[in-house]
Amino acid sequence: MSIEPVLFYIFSAVLVFAAVMVIAVRNPVFAALFLVLAFFNSAALWLLLEAEFLALVLVLVYVGAVMVLFLFVVMMLDINLTPLREGFIKYMPVGLVVAVIMLLEIAVVVGPENFGLDQVAPPPRHGADYNNTAELGSVLYTVYAYPFEIAAVILLVAIVAAISLTLRRRPQTKYQNPAEQVLVRREDRVRLVKMEAEKAGSAEGAEGD
Amino acid sequence: MIALSDFLILGALLFCISLAGIFLNRKNLLILLMAIELMLLAVNINFVAFSHYLGDTAGQVFVFFILTVAAAEAAIGLAILIVLFRNRRTINVGQIDSLKG
Amino acid sequence: MVFEFPNFVPALAEIFVLTMACVVLIVDLFLTERNRVITYLLSQATLLGAAVLTVSLHNNSTELTFSGGFIRDGMGDVLKVFIYLVVAVVFLYSREYLVVRKLFKGEFFVLGLFAVLGMMVMVSGHSLLTIYLGLELLSLSLYAMVAMHRDSMPASEAAMKYFILGAIASGMLLYGMSLIYGATGSLDIGVIADTLRMSPGDDMVLLLGLTFIIVALAFKLGAVPFHMWIPDVYHGAPTPVTLFIGSAPKIAAFAMVMRLLVDGLGPLHVQWQDMLVILAALSIVAGSVIAIAQRNLKRMLAYSTIAHVGFLLLGILAGTENGYAGAMFYVLVYALMTLGAFGMILMLSRAGFEADEIEDFKGLNERSPWFAFVMLILMFSMAGVPPFVGFYAKLAVLQAVIDAGLVWLAVLAVLSAVIGAFYYLRIVKYMYFDKPGDESALQSNFDMRATISANGLLILGLGIYPSGLMALCVTVLR
Repeated sequence: MSIEPVLFYIFSAVLVFAAVMVIAVRNPVFAALFLVLAFFNSAALWLLLEAEFLALVLVLVYVGAVMVLFLFVVMMLDINLTPLREGFIKYMPVGLVVAVIMLLEIAVVVGPENFGLDQVAPPPRHGADYNNTAELGSVLYTVYAYPFEIAAVILLVAIVAAISLTLRRRPQTKYQNPAEQVLVRREDRVRLVKMEAEKAGSAEGAEGD
Repeated sequence: MIALSDFLILGALLFCISLAGIFLNRKNLLILLMAIELMLLAVNINFVAFSHYLGDTAGQVFVFFILTVAAAEAAIGLAILIVLFRNRRTINVGQIDSLKG
Repeated sequence: MVFEFPNFVPALAEIFVLTMACVVLIVDLFLTERNRVITYLLSQATLLGAAVLTVSLHNNSTELTFSGGFIRDGMGDVLKVFIYLVVAVVFLYSREYLVVRKLFKGEFFVLGLFAVLGMMVMVSGHSLLTIYLGLELLSLSLYAMVAMHRDSMPASEAAMKYFILGAIASGMLLYGMSLIYGATGSLDIGVIADTLRMSPGDDMVLLLGLTFIIVALAFKLGAVPFHMWIPDVYHGAPTPVTLFIGSAPKIAAFAMVMRLLVDGLGPLHVQWQDMLVILAALSIVAGSVIAIAQRNLKRMLAYSTIAHVGFLLLGILAGTENGYAGAMFYVLVYALMTLGAFGMILMLSRAGFEADEIEDFKGLNERSPWFAFVMLILMFSMAGVPPFVGFYAKLAVLQAVIDAGLVWLAVLAVLSAVIGAFYYLRIVKYMYFDKPGDESALQSNFDMRATISANGLLILGLGIYPSGLMALCVTVLR
């Protein structure tokens, strides 16, 4: 028996456990960290499927950026956790029954009867010189150039939307303007006042100031 | 050997867990957003598995774009969450009920 | 893999809209509040330019480019031109409302243009990947537009509901697409259709994928039982955004249904027909009945949208060329009627007053007989009273359903339409037979008055002479 099924079952078990914990824990920070665990395990599973580039992207983009964003928001918002759990127990039986029935139905369809080893044979493993990144890159910028451009526009929309929704200029906030600091001239800062030389007669008046 | 059906059942399991999560955590918006991420992960596992067993890169390319869109979606979702929180001081869906009819 | 350098000519309109959206985004940065109107004018110029490009590139042949991800055909061109027209009118109606409420910001127009680009990508999508990306580009822009009024509690709630349900629908769509990909081995709509034609259609995997896709489409269209978001989003969003969501995206959604179900999964017609029958019947009945109980005009129009979506599905589920043409006619007419109805709400509103309660239309006849008449045309047309165009739209889809042998469905639809006519006529009664709550004259600028009058007259004119638009729909779908 090769090592691959063993690895598959270990990673799958941890993945499913992490997924259940994401929806079951009370604290959003824990949920986010369990989601990170789930992403790491699916990245490992994708390595078994020879999708090396996507496995790395999943860890870099999802764990590195998206989940950090989630954690950032969790920390930023001051959330009262107790009322958020109301209804969880109440809906639990119905939710579980619906989910299990749905799972069984999907599992029958995608199960061994249609996609077992007899129906779909695993493809032979690629050699050591196979480069998944190069293969994806070569189609991404040629055949899929059009979707690639749309994806770029989607990211632009996300930037515009996120900034326009959350950016607030508070008038009382004090901040520096580097452009103004750099462009400052001597005349703006130092004011040369031409004064008459002090005369003996006016010395008493000057002292009174 | 691992069969394609094993990966697909794993994807179906994750998909149903995320649906159950959406159903059970109707009050907590942050967990809802995370359940949606989980749902997209289930879809991605399906695509990667099909792509490998069909010997076709299109599925992997699709996953690449789903990851991109999901990142953008998360950014916008969290931005809306922040706007809502500033107005309401809560992320409890149960208290969000000014729209009724 | 052989790579063919793509032909950019069929996609010139998309390239133009993208370029101009970026130009508007940058120009807007350098504008002060006083000359923000330049952003508005540039956005209108973009839509006009795109319309010129689309019309000049139009012919009745079908062109594929970008390795099969993009299709330009007659149906796409007509739908795109209507999308430009509808969005241009949306911008025009919205302008004064936004200025008065200090929401007249560049983002509204930039996001609006990106949403137009998303709709164009959906209309021209010829692979599961491009259809999905177009849908997401549209949806993400719309989520942000709903939340745009940041200090409004209902608007941010509506945005959150819209976002969550939209994201779940996208997840469903993707799960369905993954199964279709697994069963056919391709993302290309044409290849999927060819594969399905060769293999027998009782494959469980395909059926499961189809079910997920239909659930997702029902979510996006707002068909019962996946309609929960529509009333809340219509009610909570700022009225210009409601107008935007209610009009042009429905045209794009029609295109998406046509591309996915007819062009791609057409060989599975028998299977998806049954599912659409259920959705259509529930939508027509529920939309017509629940609308009666509404006091808020935006919510009432939301339920009326649900009923209209049901009628739209009637044309598609018939599965004949006449049915598709009827559905296309219906969606175009529906977009024009929605424009007018929400335009009237926008015209009656002023600073600190939304005019979105049905009572606000009381005695409109005394305040302005002409605009009461325009609203009368719109309401009669939505109710499906002859000789207004809404009647011919309903007639076309009902004809197709009867031809398909589903007489009971047609009878149910007609009965519901009769019930539905009640709440449209109630507004007419309020306008003509009740005393106005406030006697002030309507304040709105000339272009708004002129456009809304033209909008009403167009509905009347199309009702008297519907065959031109109908013939166009039939020609491009052949």
